[in-house]
Amino acid sequence: MASRKTKDKTVIRALGLGGLLGGSSEGLVDVKDGKIVRVRPFHYDWKYKKEDIKTWKMERNGKVFEQPWKSLPGPFSLAYKKRVYSPNRIKFPMKRVDWDPDGERNPQNRGKSKYVRITWDEATDILAKEIKRIHKAYGPYGILVQGDGHGECMTIHTPHGHSGSLLDKMGGFTQQVRNPDSWEGWYWGSKHVWGQGIQGGMFPAGNIVKDTTEHAEMVLFWGCDPETTPWGFTGQMPSRLTYFWKDAGIDQVYICPDVNYGCAVHADKWIPVLPNTDAALQLAIAYTWIKEGTYNKEYVKTHVVGFDKFKAYVMGEEEDDVPKTPEWASKKCGVPEWTIKALARQFARKVTSIAHYFGGGYVRGPFSHEPGRLEVCLLGMQGLGGPGRHHHQITYFGLPRSNGLSGTFFWNPDLADRLRTPSLTTINAWQKQLIPKTYIHDAIEANEPMTFYGSGAIEVDTTDQFKKYVYPLPKKEGGTEIHMIWSDTPCRTTCWNNGNATELALRNPKIECIVTQHPWMENDTLFSDIILPSNTHMEVGDIVSSIRGGTSIPNVALCDQAIEPVGESKSNFEVVLEVAKKLGMEKAMTGGKTDEDLKKEMFTNMRLDKLTTWKEFREKGYYLYSVADDWEDDSPGLRKFYDDPEKNPLPTPTGKLEFYSEALAKNFPHDRERPPVPKWIEKGPTHDERLSSERAKMFPLILMSNHGRWRVHAQADDIPWTREAPTCKIRGWDGYMYEPCWIHPSEALERGIKHGDIVKVFNERGIVLAGAYVTERIRPNVAYMDHGARVDMIKVGEIDRGGAINTISGSGTSSRNAVGQATTAYLVQVERLSMEEMDRWRREYPEAFEREYDPASGLCVNAWLEGGEK
Amino acid sequence: MKAFVIDLSVCNGCYACQIACKDEHVGNDWTPYAKPQPDTGHFWLGIKETVRGTVPKVMVTYVPMLCMHCADAPCMKACKPGAIYKREDGLVIIDPEKCTGCKLCMDVCPYDAIFMNSGLNIAQKCTGCAHLLDDGWEVPRCVDNCPTEALKFGEEKDLKKYIAKAEPITPDVKLKTRVYYLNTPKKWVSGTLYDPKEKEVIAGAKCTLTDLETREAIIDETNAWGDFWFRGLPDNRRFKLKIEKGKKTVTMDSICTDTDRNLGDIALK
Repeated sequence: MASRKTKDKTVIRALGLGGLLGGSSEGLVDVKDGKIVRVRPFHYDWKYKKEDIKTWKMERNGKVFEQPWKSLPGPFSLAYKKRVYSPNRIKFPMKRVDWDPDGERNPQNRGKSKYVRITWDEATDILAKEIKRIHKAYGPYGILVQGDGHGECMTIHTPHGHSGSLLDKMGGFTQQVRNPDSWEGWYWGSKHVWGQGIQGGMFPAGNIVKDTTEHAEMVLFWGCDPETTPWGFTGQMPSRLTYFWKDAGIDQVYICPDVNYGCAVHADKWIPVLPNTDAALQLAIAYTWIKEGTYNKEYVKTHVVGFDKFKAYVMGEEEDDVPKTPEWASKKCGVPEWTIKALARQFARKVTSIAHYFGGGYVRGPFSHEPGRLEVCLLGMQGLGGPGRHHHQITYFGLPRSNGLSGTFFWNPDLADRLRTPSLTTINAWQKQLIPKTYIHDAIEANEPMTFYGSGAIEVDTTDQFKKYVYPLPKKEGGTEIHMIWSDTPCRTTCWNNGNATELALRNPKIECIVTQHPWMENDTLFSDIILPSNTHMEVGDIVSSIRGGTSIPNVALCDQAIEPVGESKSNFEVVLEVAKKLGMEKAMTGGKTDEDLKKEMFTNMRLDKLTTWKEFREKGYYLYSVADDWEDDSPGLRKFYDDPEKNPLPTPTGKLEFYSEALAKNFPHDRERPPVPKWIEKGPTHDERLSSERAKMFPLILMSNHGRWRVHAQADDIPWTREAPTCKIRGWDGYMYEPCWIHPSEALERGIKHGDIVKVFNERGIVLAGAYVTERIRPNVAYMDHGARVDMIKVGEIDRGGAINTISGSGTSSRNAVGQATTAYLVQVERLSMEEMDRWRREYPEAFEREYDPASGLCVNAWLEGGEK
Repeated sequence: MKAFVIDLSVCNGCYACQIACKDEHVGNDWTPYAKPQPDTGHFWLGIKETVRGTVPKVMVTYVPMLCMHCADAPCMKACKPGAIYKREDGLVIIDPEKCTGCKLCMDVCPYDAIFMNSGLNIAQKCTGCAHLLDDGWEVPRCVDNCPTEALKFGEEKDLKKYIAKAEPITPDVKLKTRVYYLNTPKKWVSGTLYDPKEKEVIAGAKCTLTDLETREAIIDETNAWGDFWFRGLPDNRRFKLKIEKGKKTVTMDSICTDTDRNLGDIALK
């Protein structure tokens, strides 16, 4: 048979969705006739010979783990084509039909009114005029920039922060501070035990994969899903590693309320704990060790401060306190007493590491700093830093160091000083007037200045958590309430705390203009006044470093443009340039440099000029890093501290592991939600979300929210091919594809719910519709829904059909003095939705049901265009 | 002859293979190999996932199913217009230009591997990405996408060491299929043994599982979690379980392997 031409050209792409500071999940994109034909894994030997690159391997019990010679992207990365050609793509600039910058602005109709097409010229004229007007009326801090978070993997055209770069040159702006959105408990908790760390996790964490491979006998996957969260960041390396560990004889124990996707295929033992009750389980483990004398007393003596106070609390020696026995813990955490004891004994007997990736339910609930701190205490009691005893963000940190890279943290060589300005907004609080992302809705609605401790920025010192901030700043410092929002990050409603309150806040008349730049018509975008169409990575060329831990072979690639932009869309950088032109700021933004100049500049910033030449790099299209010759000598994790804590102190005030934090005691003497010694917090002024609560009489299930298997936060909810997986969406009797809500058969039976029924998941904060997924993969007492499904409001601020479960999560932060989000482990009820109730909503909110909808991919941009797409 | 080998022990259920097939065939016209696949609803390679067991002994098994490219393909025999043919490399193809959409092939395929494209009125299925193989590719898209090497593809003779260990997949029919499965799911019986007075798990208890039909006995010992695991059991058999530790015993009669059995937390009094 005559062969067919199967492509015209091939370009490299970073297909990850972690975005912000570099790429991952590299792939090759084949293009034919100007369209993407296929997206496939990257075979690194495309332009390199295998013998030219030095790779690593690890061994245990005769089994060998090697670097794969291809990338291992997750399924949504491999279905990237569907995101590019999604029926939800915004193809041209739009204006809300009843928003008139020279007349009535109708903020009360945000989230309800439709849009009309306008030209780029009209859109940028309006926007330039609004910026000038706000600056004049209120000052530069009158504009809030939401320009941070995850997204597609680009460098020059990075999806976030360009508007901040522009406004910074015009006097500054109010910055939405990007807070931890996956590691809350470590950031607000663990940092007070072992110091700064990266994002609060263990640091240094170099070379721990090899050390664990060689020495560990057991790994506790504590709230960790190695088959889900890594997908968006670097792909499926943790899958291969955990299969290898199994082969090598390392026990894998999963402690989580759900049979998550890692547990489903890797677990030697599943311990189904109730959501956000891990602190009780941890305390009972500590109790058992103290009672039986099975902790490392020598290590504790030399490496820990405050053990006496910790011990007194655990053993119930304090006044009015109870011993934290397995019997006590069992009632809190729902694990049988005998299994708690078995876990404690195994943990003491076997060389054990704890593995996470990013936190799912485990470190993201109310008071998440307590389990965050307690796990460090447990590791400390068994000699943290010793052979095989580590805290993993599995493969994200701890794989062998590459030659020419100082670490494996996104960037070469250092992070902050090498970043392009837009990315600053993602990691630093670099403006004067700040609002933590968790407080945006409160800040809009507040009539009095708000104060808070800690900006919550990723890269700030632990001491920032003791610093008092105020919004707005005093007038003499330029402070003002915000009156305009410019967002390239329109996902707050579905990814952050209390989305329903956010929806309502976005209608506040104080906010005179909301402009959003985004490729898809989704989530907060639906509340905008002006919408600018940005495009995807496929439509713009860039230079992207894929050196995040877990990349098969770290590399930097030139990602040449694959296809022409869809519609009139432009890259996020180009979108802001269009506005800059109208403000006379174009030159200030580009520095007079072309795209190719900027790529060369990045090449040098990445210090690739020390390793190769631009010419060779251009020709090959990518550079592969060899493993460092001496990588096996790199001291693993906290080994130096383990060996000699006096010479190698931790970055804590005392240099030791602080089981009692003097700094917390001094700064927050009255904080009973995050006391100096980590504790079990039943409830507090910030949260009352446990089964023991009075509220549980009305809302008797704990809602657990993980990172989505089929999404990265709000990204990739529109891929028809992942939506066919039975755990991705569930077709309701009305043909709508609902977000699944997992409940145990016993809970379903009690409620007359059958698999596939449309159910309502609700509490005082609103109602979310879902498809019942009745399964043994979740323990009783729990309703489980991933966050990040796109909002599809039946009634704004109250009823959501899209399955955006965070719309009904609490407003409160991690605790009183910790501005993390607490978007899992809160009380709800689940009921079968009757046809009568659905019909009533159809009558009351007809526009919500008349919007164009495509069951295969979900929401459509046409639904929001006056008269459909013109 | 080309063959697939699928090792279920390392299939993590990521669906990258199922998506690869869609990425290659939806919206792309590879006539004369295949016309475009509909956007959704076709699973030329489809994952079948099964949740097994009950809380807290639960696991998930994923089985990628596709056209078996049978040597004795019944679809070829059933096809009246002669649209289905076998290539020299063994891949079975439905010629999209000869197919009349009569569905006879669908009726005879024991693996439900053929799908009706009602828009084009033709039957469609896995082509082994023959258009890519003829263009120099070594493996089809599904195999290329697989992150764990659970899917392999190549010359049957080069895959011999795997094929020697292959097991039949349901339905077990003798059609000389060329998709070989390793580590297919087998039933298990499990539970946790504990002392209700001491509130402790019991390790080291002798557990004897006896097949009530053959009287064959399998022995396991509870581990440090108090767990016993009998794996690799045949379907639909009845067993008796006896657990002994010291002078205490507990027995359970008539445990049926019509499904995987978690016997729960068992008190040894």
